Amino acid sequence: MRIFQKTNFNFIHNRKIAYGFSIILLLAGMVSLVVKGLNYGIDFRGGSEVVIRFDKNIDVGEIRSVLDAAGVSGTLKQYGMDRSFLFSTVFQGDTGQLKSLVSNALNDRIRSNHHEIVRIDAVGPSIASDLKWSAVKALIASLLAILLYVGFRFEIKFATAGVVAIFHDILTVLGLFSILGGLFPFMPLEMDQSIIAAFLTIAGYSITDTVVVYDRIRERIRGQKPSDYERIFNESMNQTLSRTIITSGTVLLSVFVLFIFAGPAIRGFAFAVFSGILIGTYSSIFVAAPLVYDWLKMTKSAVRLRGSKQP
Amino acid sequence: MKNKRFNLLLIAVVTLVAVWSLWPTWRDYTYSKQLNSFGSTQDSLKYVMSHREEIEDARKKSLKLGLDLRGGMHLVMEVDQVDLFEQKAWNKDAKFSTIMQSVRAKAAQSDVRVIDLLVGEFRNENIPLSRYFYDIRNSDQEIVKKLEKESEDALNRAKEIIRNRIDQYGVAEPVITTQGSRKIIIELPGVSDENRVRNLLKGTAKLEFRLLREPEVMVRTLDRINTYLAQNSLPVPAKAPLPPDSASAPAPQPGSVAAPPASKPSSANPLYDLVGIFQNGTAYTSEHSRELVLSLLRRADIQALMPLDTELLLAAKPDVGKNGEKLYPIYLVKKAPELTGGVITEAKATFGSQGVQPEVLMSMNSDGTSKWARITGANIGKRIAIVLDGAVYSAPVVQSKIPNGNSVINGIESLEEAKDLEIVLKAGALPAPVRITEERSVGPSLGADYIRAGIQSLAWAFLAVSVFMLFYYKKAGIAADIALVLNILIVLSVLAGFNASLSLPGIAGIVLTIGMAVDANVLIYERIREELAEGKSVISAVTQGYDRAFSSILDSHVTTLSAAFLLYTYGIGPIQGFAVTLMIGTSASLFTAIVVTREIFHLLLAKNLMSEKSFG
Repeated sequence: MRIFQKTNFNFIHNRKIAYGFSIILLLAGMVSLVVKGLNYGIDFRGGSEVVIRFDKNIDVGEIRSVLDAAGVSGTLKQYGMDRSFLFSTVFQGDTGQLKSLVSNALNDRIRSNHHEIVRIDAVGPSIASDLKWSAVKALIASLLAILLYVGFRFEIKFATAGVVAIFHDILTVLGLFSILGGLFPFMPLEMDQSIIAAFLTIAGYSITDTVVVYDRIRERIRGQKPSDYERIFNESMNQTLSRTIITSGTVLLSVFVLFIFAGPAIRGFAFAVFSGILIGTYSSIFVAAPLVYDWLKMTKSAVRLRGSKQP
Repeated sequence: MKNKRFNLLLIAVVTLVAVWSLWPTWRDYTYSKQLNSFGSTQDSLKYVMSHREEIEDARKKSLKLGLDLRGGMHLVMEVDQVDLFEQKAWNKDAKFSTIMQSVRAKAAQSDVRVIDLLVGEFRNENIPLSRYFYDIRNSDQEIVKKLEKESEDALNRAKEIIRNRIDQYGVAEPVITTQGSRKIIIELPGVSDENRVRNLLKGTAKLEFRLLREPEVMVRTLDRINTYLAQNSLPVPAKAPLPPDSASAPAPQPGSVAAPPASKPSSANPLYDLVGIFQNGTAYTSEHSRELVLSLLRRADIQALMPLDTELLLAAKPDVGKNGEKLYPIYLVKKAPELTGGVITEAKATFGSQGVQPEVLMSMNSDGTSKWARITGANIGKRIAIVLDGAVYSAPVVQSKIPNGNSVINGIESLEEAKDLEIVLKAGALPAPVRITEERSVGPSLGADYIRAGIQSLAWAFLAVSVFMLFYYKKAGIAADIALVLNILIVLSVLAGFNASLSLPGIAGIVLTIGMAVDANVLIYERIREELAEGKSVISAVTQGYDRAFSSILDSHVTTLSAAFLLYTYGIGPIQGFAVTLMIGTSASLFTAIVVTREIFHLLLAKNLMSEKSFG
């Protein structure tokens, strides 16, 4: 079976449209980040979270009023799709106290519907700020590593464009998190550790598709004149289009399964990786390679690439 | 030809090792299934007895499930290094305490080493460290070096002490590690009584024997505090007042509660609304006011009102009053301990002489014994408080000189608590207070849900991807699917073999690996299709396909691996589990997707089972 028989899209010619699209996407995200901000999970802001599961269906309002009456202040939300609720409150040193407070209040007031506290997380503020820092450090380090590696394997212009594409992907996903955060009850899209994992996964994988395109360009560009670059870039991208889409497709398939089956704890992560890979595939064709082309055109010199093989 | 044989051998060995490493997991699974199938507990017990070694062996070598999947507690504790450095300092004055306060405030905000914060703060103030630490002739660098060593020691000692306490508490397979300069990470699978564990870990076990001041002195002190509070009309939030009772009581019998002049309006006697005094001079506070009184006693202006070198402490456990109310006695004790818990060599939880009150017996080393004999000899008729972590456990009257160093802590509520105290005393005191800064606990029922969700995701992802490969690449898809199975086997077996545990994020990593592992095959197969389209023969197309796709496969794997590696380095806990499975899976796919599928094609080509159509 083949999805793309032989394509002949003029990617390079139409690259400005793609640039415009990307800029709009990024701007929308930035505006939302500034105006609405992000939903931070307790990993990053500190606090306590309790997941309570009931035996029977129950209204959120009822639990909320019981907890309010007991003097436990915090926010209560539906958690996942079953009869579970997530109660989050400020950090208290003693989660045991919080647990018994919540448990006693619910036992007293909602007798007919048995509940169970299935999870308690508490993160102190100092840990939360550590986590933020190590997240930023990990991201910067991975971008540097990718820049160095691709620079070593190809050429610095290729590497820089690849890293710009990764930035593009991560910022877009971040923007999506800001825009869509809190809109869907089954998917609160809070920023937590797992989202950082998602960003690093996106960074590592986004370059995969880019490298496939680069690899083909490297193979064909050797000894060619700069005036032929547009044709070579276009042909290379068309030739690799099918594999670019199928490699991403298999990953998207498995991440989609994660999104559906792995439960609320993984859902935000799955969403981030899914959208990140989708955008990463787009950016490797419409952002990374065209940027390299523009750069080469500006310098007007023939490119020297490392490790290219005889065709 | 030789090379080919080597590859086949390698594949066989890898497969065998993977299966061998996962065999105990399978055995463990079948054993527990068998045990569950028995009707009575006797049958299963008999089965366990007869197969004990095999079962234990299988369990030990089987793939461990992470805390989130089997339920348990994950704790991050922080050693209070500011406190530690304060202990090390001498010549402490007001300047010193302001500096330490700002260090403490900064330390709470960041992960920077406390020692660096301390040095920075002293430098700002232009004060040499030697004014407060070690010898006046030491340079700053020497002192920093010494303090660094102290903090490192403190962290390791705290870790060992915590390990001792947990070992004696009896948790299966606890994992205790240190992180950075002040954190200890503790993983306790299958812990059900979280509160007990928390108390066990938090107790600093600073045991002290302190002389009690005379009751009259304490009453005068309380009067002074009361007057001070009334004069300054400091707001003492009104809480439930003490239960009024008859005004006279001969002894501090539980229940014979002497209400202080309680009828007076609360503004006139702020302290006595919270604290009562017996006629014999014993003071107490009710359970309701306990927190309030404690916070009052911590205030510097209140502490200034106490007689020199003394402080007021509350009892650890209440006496129960006549009406069932709980009353906490208050003691005025000397600040300097007569003796500290370091001399305790042995501790044992037991029941007291009447056989109902749990207590802890202690014996001391020779140094402690001789000191104890001198102290008790000099203070016959006086009371000595046994203070643990700032709370008075008991305050017995010294009847006679104790020459053998044996002492008793009573006033303990349950045997369980006595046992915990025994553990804490035996394992020794923590060098500095430790605080719980992060806690995550998962109940077993949620763990079971996670397992179900994880297995479902694995199964569906595998099904979706492998069916797609078959559909899209036909015969070549079979090879890719075989490689995929082997890949998953390798990931699981490496986890089992290295005793790492599988968590929900780890499963997510495997699911992601399923999608990424076939990428290499996609790249190769697409290349082969191209070569075939150029009219090459199947054999040369396959060879060329593998050779030419290799460089982009390598590049993409290296970038994914480096991202996963950084995630492992900077991430913590659950995220590391994800990074580990992603790393193993990605590396394994270099082998399975390239070597394994290639060998399959070689076999098929040799038997003439491949044609141009085999690649879809």
